[in-house]
Amino acid sequence: MVRHASARRGLGTLLICVLVVSSAWAATTAPKTGGVLNAMHREDPPSLSIHEEATISTNWPMMPCYNNLVLFNPLRGQESQATITGELAERWAWQDGGTSLAFTLRKGVRWHDGRPFTSADVKYTFDLVRGAPEATAQLRLNPRKGWYAQVQVIEAADPYTVTFRLKRPQPSFLMLLASGYSPVYPAHIPAAELRTRCVGTGPFKLKEYRPGEFIEMVRNPDYFVRDRPYLDGIRFIIIKERGTRIAALQAGRLDVTMPQEGTKTAAEQLKRAVPKMVIFETSTNINDNILVNFKRPPFTDSRVRRAVSLAIDRRSYVQAVRQGGAVVGASMLPRPWGVWGLSPEDLAGLPGSGDPVTQKAEARQLLAEAGYGPDHPLRIVVSTRAIALYVDMATFVIDQLKQVGIDATLEQVESALWYAKLTRGEFELGANLTGIGVDDPDANFYENYVCGSSRNYSQYCNPEVDRMIDAQSQTLDQVKRRHLVAEIQRRLEIDGARPILAWDTDYSAMWPFVHNLIPHQSVYSYARFQEVWVDR
Amino acid sequence: MWTFIVRRLGLAALTLVGMSVVIFVLLRVAPGNIVDLIFQSAGYVDPAEKHRLTHELLLDRPIVAQYLQWAGRLLHGDLGTSYRYGLPAWQIVRPRIPVTVELATLALLVSLCVGLPTGIVSATRHNTAADYGLRLFSLAGLSLPAFWLGMVIILLLVRVFGWIPSMLYVPAAVDLRAHFLQFLFPALAAGYRSAALVNRITRSSMLEVLREDYVRTGWAKGLTGRAVIYRHALKNALLPVVTVIGTEFAFLIGGLVVTETVFNLPGVARYLVEAILWRDYPVVQNLVMIIAAVVVLSNLAVDLLYARLDPRVRYA
Repeated sequence: MVRHASARRGLGTLLICVLVVSSAWAATTAPKTGGVLNAMHREDPPSLSIHEEATISTNWPMMPCYNNLVLFNPLRGQESQATITGELAERWAWQDGGTSLAFTLRKGVRWHDGRPFTSADVKYTFDLVRGAPEATAQLRLNPRKGWYAQVQVIEAADPYTVTFRLKRPQPSFLMLLASGYSPVYPAHIPAAELRTRCVGTGPFKLKEYRPGEFIEMVRNPDYFVRDRPYLDGIRFIIIKERGTRIAALQAGRLDVTMPQEGTKTAAEQLKRAVPKMVIFETSTNINDNILVNFKRPPFTDSRVRRAVSLAIDRRSYVQAVRQGGAVVGASMLPRPWGVWGLSPEDLAGLPGSGDPVTQKAEARQLLAEAGYGPDHPLRIVVSTRAIALYVDMATFVIDQLKQVGIDATLEQVESALWYAKLTRGEFELGANLTGIGVDDPDANFYENYVCGSSRNYSQYCNPEVDRMIDAQSQTLDQVKRRHLVAEIQRRLEIDGARPILAWDTDYSAMWPFVHNLIPHQSVYSYARFQEVWVDR
Repeated sequence: MWTFIVRRLGLAALTLVGMSVVIFVLLRVAPGNIVDLIFQSAGYVDPAEKHRLTHELLLDRPIVAQYLQWAGRLLHGDLGTSYRYGLPAWQIVRPRIPVTVELATLALLVSLCVGLPTGIVSATRHNTAADYGLRLFSLAGLSLPAFWLGMVIILLLVRVFGWIPSMLYVPAAVDLRAHFLQFLFPALAAGYRSAALVNRITRSSMLEVLREDYVRTGWAKGLTGRAVIYRHALKNALLPVVTVIGTEFAFLIGGLVVTETVFNLPGVARYLVEAILWRDYPVVQNLVMIIAAVVVLSNLAVDLLYARLDPRVRYA
């Protein structure tokens, strides 16, 4: 019963086979009903409102409470257009040359408070998150407003039909709707209330949330999917201390880890201590990157930007900082986890991925051309959040920069002020982590790279790249789109828009009696728990 | 004596007012506020949304106005609403107080049960192998960080027994055995440091007293060792020990952060740190005031105990 999916380089196929076998195994064993799952949680969620947050700390415990129109199949490890399944939507169809997406909704679905679910709830939710002028409410925070920029209008022709009319074709739109970040909210409950309670249509109801202790979910007996969920409940136990969390898992006080919490070292120790523990190795869809302030000299000079990117040896980074628990990639999640990642050949030609000696020599040459050298060293500050993981990253970067003659010093920024500082552009180089909600070019590029976007902290702005991003976004032919996306990734790395150091790997651990909890390549979308069952 | 108590209570009130000003100002001097942190978790900052939220939480009002509003509410028993959870601060704080008080009391019990006898043995067997051993024991207790000790206990339990106490708080009324086990190990971890301190103070105080004339007289009169040590020496050596115990209790109420975190106990101390990290002003201010009140009152209690223990002490 080994479901340990090992992903060594060049063993992508093997990995996929293991995942397929594990999924098939899960599907052929008769599920059992009942039992409560004790799931790990690392902290209190900032709020319970998924639409107002951008952290797994909210998605992980709150996804079981809600449903989307569509969702990535929880039993398939790799999310893509092909794995999207209906939840509140029975079926859907693209119309008008890809500018309209019409959904036929399930009938007989009820909110946890007994009110019927209709198309009005869908219209309310997505008008709310896109900040539509006709929206009847407003979110306190709206981190994914940009996802819905192409929506012109949402029409609810009848209680069970809803149509999204787009300004232009956007094939990724369905991917965005399938993310764990896109639940449907009840129109009859004020959005502010959903920060502290949950009224959804999902397989589990919120029973109790005791801050600092636990979030308890119970089975929704009126769930619209017959014989689901299997579990009687889920208890998300909040344990702040990482060592205690692992000990609790080992001692059987917890049944599963939380996504994004498993490091390679911890997984190896756990496996040694409890050989029967099941470890899933997959991606978090979070990358470690360097923010280069394009508006601040000397980074207005493309030679300096390129020198910085060339100086940092990505493979050494993975080994030294992540102890091998990460993979090198460009701006989209690399293979085998990601769908859009560059091929190994393409990656090898990018700054920081080639021979480190040659690349460092090239970096020194570029710096010399820009007027910097031993007599006139480039002095810069690398800013990062005052969190160990970030500081480790920044320290490595500083060491690499010193090797090409850049005299870099570390600035640790109080965590609370980090994004405010980035938004104001008060940094030269920043060591940062960026999570991508869905493994999709639109979700990533529009959030992080187009001119003036909300998280484009580097203030990178290349109208030509923007045009390419718009072009890929409306390309219906997947092969053509893949080529365009690959080209954009190469351009972003060559321009040094936000040099990617690595993509973090997640090591999810669970006891063998937990079934059908299949980690996906993005941590944000698989916590519905509808199919999960336990056999203690 | 009553005059003394009234005067001390007056001073305590003044101390608390001063404390309220200090904590209020310090919190606002710390970089960032709840609005920054809310946006930090969302991973972006929108200046317009930030401005709206700052206004909504009344954080754009002058600091004096904010202080007066908080102090006014506090005097009326209103602890305000937690910025982070949107719940009344008292609703969050109240269930945590018994957890911390129980843990602090048990830790203090451990420290007394271990620290006093070992301190006496150390003093009466001065410079013997037993004394050296106990001095090593107490030095280790003062040197080992509670965090490390707690983690070692957890790891040993899981390694040796494949078991650790419950990660969810179990009230005594629900399961007394589980409750006891849940508090036993953290009490040992937190109590060890206090025990070491009590041991050191008892030892030095006893050594001093054992050299007094009246102790020598006791021995010369032919009193039993038990009578000399416990009835005459220990009673007079207890004064500094009581002082330490009083301050230790106050320290434990606010200083159990690490122990509560490692053993995942939902106590006040752990929550206070989280509230500080989130700049949850109403919660932090009110918790600090509660802890300050405990410190002030335990100091008063220690002062009053002096008279009971030492008849030479008179309250003017």
